[in-house]
Amino acid sequence: QTATIRVTGNVTEKSTNAGLPGVTVQVKGTTLGTTTDGAGTYTIQAASDAILIFSSIGYTSQEVAVGNRTSIDVALADDNKTLNEVVVVGYGTQRRADVTGATVTIKGDELVKQPVLTATQALQGKAAGVQIISSGQPGSSPVVRVRGTGTALAGTAALFVVDGVLTDDISNINTADITNVDVLKDASATAIYGARGANGVVIITTKRGASGKMTVNYSGNAGFRLPANLVTMANATEYANYVSTASGNLVTAGPTSTDWYGQILRTGFQQNHGLSISGGTDKSTYFLSAGYFTDQGIVIDNIYKRFSIRANQDFTFNKVVRAGFSASYANGNNQIANLNTAYNNAYRAAPIIASKDANGKYGNTSVYQNVGNSVLDIEKNNNLAIDNRLLGSAYLEIKPVSWLTYRTNLGGDFVNLNSRVYNYQFNNDTTTFITPGGNQRNPNSNLSVGNTKTFHWTFDNLLTFNKQIDKHSLTVLVGTTAEQYTLTSVTAFRKDVPAAQNLWYIGTGNANTSTNDGTGDKYTRNSYLSRINYNYNDKYLLTATLRADGSSRFPSQNRWGYFPSVGAGWLISNESFMQSQHIFDLLKLRGSWGRVGNDRIPSDSYTVTVQPNLAYPFGGGVATPGSAITQIKDPNLKWETTEEFDLGLEFSALKGRLTGEVNYYDKKARDLLINVKVPSVAGDADGVVLTNAASIRNQGLEVTLNWRGRISNDLTYRIGGNATLNSNSVIGLNGGQPILDGGIGANQQYTTRTDNGQPVGSFYVLQVLGVFQNDADVNSYKNPAGQVIQPSAAPGDFKYQDTNGDGKIDDNDRVFAGSYQPKAYFGLNLGLTYKSLDFSVDVYGNVGNQVYNGKRAFRQNVLDNVEKTMAYNRWTSANGSQTEPGANSGNLPASTYFIESGSFARINNATLGYKLPQRLTDKIHLSNLRVFATAQNILTLKKYSGFTSELVGNPTSQGIELNAYPTTQTFAIGLNAGF
Amino acid sequence: CQKSFLDVPVQGQATTATDPNLAVNLVTGVYNSLFNGEAFGGAGGDIHGISFIAATNIISDDAEKGSTPGDQPPLGDIDNFSVTPTNNFVAALWNGYYGGISRANQALAALQIASLAPTTKNQLIGEVRFIRAYYYFNLVRFFGKVPKVVRVPNDAQDANTDPAFQTRAPIDTIYNVITQDLQFAIDNLPLRTQSAVGHANKGAAQALLAKMYLYRKNWQQVQTLTQAVIASGQYSLVPDYSIIWRYAGANNAESIFETQSGTFNNSDIATAGYCTWQGPRVGPKGGWTDLGFGFDTPSQDLVNAYEPGDKRKASTIIAIDRTGRGLGTLLYDGFRIPSGDSVQNAYYNYKAYASENKNVEPFLGNRDQKQKNIRLLRYADVLLMNAEAANELGQSAAAIAYLNQIRTRAGLAATKATSQTDLRTAIWNERRLELAMEHDRFFDLVRQGRAAQVMKAAGKNFVAGKNELLPVPSLQIQLSGGKLDQNNGY
Repeated sequence: QTATIRVTGNVTEKSTNAGLPGVTVQVKGTTLGTTTDGAGTYTIQAASDAILIFSSIGYTSQEVAVGNRTSIDVALADDNKTLNEVVVVGYGTQRRADVTGATVTIKGDELVKQPVLTATQALQGKAAGVQIISSGQPGSSPVVRVRGTGTALAGTAALFVVDGVLTDDISNINTADITNVDVLKDASATAIYGARGANGVVIITTKRGASGKMTVNYSGNAGFRLPANLVTMANATEYANYVSTASGNLVTAGPTSTDWYGQILRTGFQQNHGLSISGGTDKSTYFLSAGYFTDQGIVIDNIYKRFSIRANQDFTFNKVVRAGFSASYANGNNQIANLNTAYNNAYRAAPIIASKDANGKYGNTSVYQNVGNSVLDIEKNNNLAIDNRLLGSAYLEIKPVSWLTYRTNLGGDFVNLNSRVYNYQFNNDTTTFITPGGNQRNPNSNLSVGNTKTFHWTFDNLLTFNKQIDKHSLTVLVGTTAEQYTLTSVTAFRKDVPAAQNLWYIGTGNANTSTNDGTGDKYTRNSYLSRINYNYNDKYLLTATLRADGSSRFPSQNRWGYFPSVGAGWLISNESFMQSQHIFDLLKLRGSWGRVGNDRIPSDSYTVTVQPNLAYPFGGGVATPGSAITQIKDPNLKWETTEEFDLGLEFSALKGRLTGEVNYYDKKARDLLINVKVPSVAGDADGVVLTNAASIRNQGLEVTLNWRGRISNDLTYRIGGNATLNSNSVIGLNGGQPILDGGIGANQQYTTRTDNGQPVGSFYVLQVLGVFQNDADVNSYKNPAGQVIQPSAAPGDFKYQDTNGDGKIDDNDRVFAGSYQPKAYFGLNLGLTYKSLDFSVDVYGNVGNQVYNGKRAFRQNVLDNVEKTMAYNRWTSANGSQTEPGANSGNLPASTYFIESGSFARINNATLGYKLPQRLTDKIHLSNLRVFATAQNILTLKKYSGFTSELVGNPTSQGIELNAYPTTQTFAIGLNAGF
Repeated sequence: CQKSFLDVPVQGQATTATDPNLAVNLVTGVYNSLFNGEAFGGAGGDIHGISFIAATNIISDDAEKGSTPGDQPPLGDIDNFSVTPTNNFVAALWNGYYGGISRANQALAALQIASLAPTTKNQLIGEVRFIRAYYYFNLVRFFGKVPKVVRVPNDAQDANTDPAFQTRAPIDTIYNVITQDLQFAIDNLPLRTQSAVGHANKGAAQALLAKMYLYRKNWQQVQTLTQAVIASGQYSLVPDYSIIWRYAGANNAESIFETQSGTFNNSDIATAGYCTWQGPRVGPKGGWTDLGFGFDTPSQDLVNAYEPGDKRKASTIIAIDRTGRGLGTLLYDGFRIPSGDSVQNAYYNYKAYASENKNVEPFLGNRDQKQKNIRLLRYADVLLMNAEAANELGQSAAAIAYLNQIRTRAGLAATKATSQTDLRTAIWNERRLELAMEHDRFFDLVRQGRAAQVMKAAGKNFVAGKNELLPVPSLQIQLSGGKLDQNNGY
């Protein structure tokens, strides 16, 4: 029987003797651990005969036996054996060297400097194989795609695991609270999450307290957001000129020239403050934090605010029993601007109409051209969403003997979302507009309120055996998990609610107009998991996992899925034949195979349900409720299954100055849940049936290289880069039809086709060959049979390719024209430290994808405005343009004209910081103080002529820019201080 | 965990197993499909919305597209016969009608196994088959050959492989479906007075079957069936033609079958968009709150077709005041439409007008579902069908008698026509005016074999042998893997 003692100490950097913050201190063979504080001190409870492992990225790990000492100071050498650090893997931790799957760790410190809402957004460009697509809209969560798009219809979101709680959204997590983000990329790493692993797993570990002196940290920044990369629309004169030609009627420009985007966009203010207190005793440690974030969007009336608090606490009762919890509460307050309508209207609205006059009356675009006034769209609508979220977990750990740990973990995620949408009453008369008329009006005010509550609990029970015999090290994990998700939602609606904001409650409305609705959802999962890690002599590594998942979302005959994986690693640098070389400090080859699943489909997907309330009023009066079966369901739905093979090489060379990793992966997803279109005659109301039909393959290569150099003792630098090549292809529809999607409306019912041999959601449009220059051109454009192909075309119209040669242009002439799936994406991270100054630049980009200019395509009235470039570059008989059509009334068919390169490279972030010297901070009783200036999205190089080529959407319709939030730029200054 | 932990029933949605009243509710759901009116080729489809209006009225010489010239060009394509297989409104029709037929097939499947009294069950089946027949009748009139779908597909695989779902059946096959459905309805439905208001009844089935035979030129059957309706004594012409389309005229003595309207969930419920799409639209000078989008405007050709003194003209057409004296147009409910410079179009469809004056007609504020019944079959049509059949069968006296019933109510003198040919022309012309803007004119012209002649005379770009039918939507052809064939000329 050995006693548990409290060990404290300092961890310093060997070369400089400076305290090292953020070093992981772990009791070997357990999950017990802590991190050093800002000054490099730590406190940990450990058995008097335990071994402590000190590890941190960029330093050689050390193992130190406690040997009854209560104070242990350690100096870590600045060597880049990064693979010795301890990393989080599913349901446990592992030495990085022992990991046989593809995972990547990003330190919270690297993420927190960016003035963005979520850690996911800050991840952009930081990790190979991880594509982050962010809309920039306040309060929004970016899309995470790990190693390509491996599904078409089931959820594409990566799984987030926050302190053991499984979730899809981390917009409630204050980035300042995060210690590490670990991304599990390949199937052998994610197979332990079974049916939820196919899209990759992002594990978020939040900070925990360390026993010892209380530390207080403040970090904050504040600054401005500006619209970036705006499209310049034609002014009144250019517009009048264009539209006169297009319509054949003279349109004259008056003194008014309205810049509609200028009217609805602004400079927004953003700020982020976080305060944390941590510390503890040998029996308990704590980490408490509070955060406040506001992001005033660049669209008028748009603002998002988040207040968050966190309490993480750990208790050591004795050497056998430990317990603790993590709890966070976040309140998000999102004042949403009526974007979808306002944005399109701003694009189309004529600049010759005033937005608003001095008396506050609106210009009437509706009466002029059947387009709403976008300022009014926003101002006459008030849309507020408030979510309150509690996310946390509690654990109890029992370690009866040194080689056995039992851990039970109960996690919960409770969300209460309230929405309130108020539409003001206004008429299309002179009380509202400068000129009366048109159809933009709302004769009765109305209020909709909604409440959605979700609760998701997870309950894990895990047993870990750990035994080292000679050169054999074996860890075995077995466990079971259960989870349940429930959702209830209610909505209520009434008209004639007074305009005063204090009366925006359902009860003040006209009861004769009240309607309400409500629904629910519930699903459960039950899983059994196991993992074996075997290490022989620190040279040969083997990992094998097996998870069995049962999900209520599938019919009973297909309910259980089995997800195995196996990985092997070879630490070549530990072989004797490598001891004589001096290039590689570490060289590791690893390969893995695994099978994972995806069950992210609605709970009712296989059950035929009855649509209620399709009423009919026989003989008038109040109608009799009726119902209909309007959906065909597949009674044999099953899991999506992804099998992935991964081969990787990791190295550290030149005394740790150069590190890197190369990975090849081949990922095949089959039985993909996909909406197969059925002919309308089948009677499915939305024309699609969810079934397991398609297969998609993603193959790719990831390269990561990091160089750390030192020019002098005062000047150090690092250059890191990562690049991912990915090839996405639908390899089989297996009887399903190609999926046509991406409709813009009017003449463009669909713009994409997901088909064999093409990337998911490939654009499928008419090929523009040029512009007809004159009537002779039109008449001479014939097919081999001599038919004039576009007889009704006029000079200035597009000449489309008659692909099938049948003498007419129709849907059969469409061709594939690329997709939104990038061929490659990359990140570049530079850092420079000179004395107390630090400077960093992050670059992100992607190449080889296409975007669809949906805004241009959406132009549908002859009086709609055009982009300035279109006004000037349009075809005229004088300039003979072959790429821009003549002045036209819009309503063009889907064609290559609307497809543009989506490649871009962007300086995501540049930060300049200054850390006050220790003697100064000591004087003001601070442990550290750093001030910094940071800028987000400073410069974007792109070919795309629209607002943004970063587009969030479903796989089969992604890459269409119609209502996207414009890119924003942020300039902020900030402060980090520790007490 | 216990095994039952994973047995989670669907929340918040009834399933076929949990709805005890399933069959009866599904029948009501079939009636509800009469309301479908999706504007832009959306998933819901269109049965009696703008697509229907376009493919029946706008396409004919009775109406123009209306609205502003640049508004909804695909509707203009239907008007000018430049319609293509990608036309979204045509696609909406295909989707809508097959959506309705599917609801009928679902209801029929549920009725087969429902525990209901045999009479009740057969009556419900008869009502559903009546509506299914009506939908197929419109489909053949729009598209000619169409797929014969009389059962519910089991799953997507079934829907995508059974040739019945992927190929068009011959027209005769579809007419057989219609005949059998309607014969069942005739045999099992009670007379109008014995059935609840708004439900399909025996007379409705007989009238619709007669109308189908009209298109088949089976004059004997037309005469027999219309005679049965007439002899049933259930129907009569109402004295005042103008009242028929008003709220007060709903389900009156002349009504044989019409869509119903009322309220549900504190809102108006009726055919989606029917009144809004056709409502008078504000014009350049503005100054008033308009009533709709201004589509489907009566043509000058129709306006000119009325004889002097024809009372039906003012009940069919809202004529905008273009005198320049600022008189405006006063409607029956007291609503005054300002004069021409504030109004987009010269004429509007009065038969699609529903009042927003709550003192005159009920209106809870849902403009897209104003409480307007669309009259789909009425007694005047039966009389004219009978007259046409009688004339074709050489019974001119009978023909003249029924024709004059119609003319008398319209305030017109008896017909002067006596020869079979003159009488035929007179009956055709009477059909046009009596049923103007009631969604039959174009089909009549096609069936009478003079669509090309009349359309060309009206200045339209009609191609004989092609434009009698609409194109099969290209998306549907693609979804069938090309097995669905296209109509001639598209």
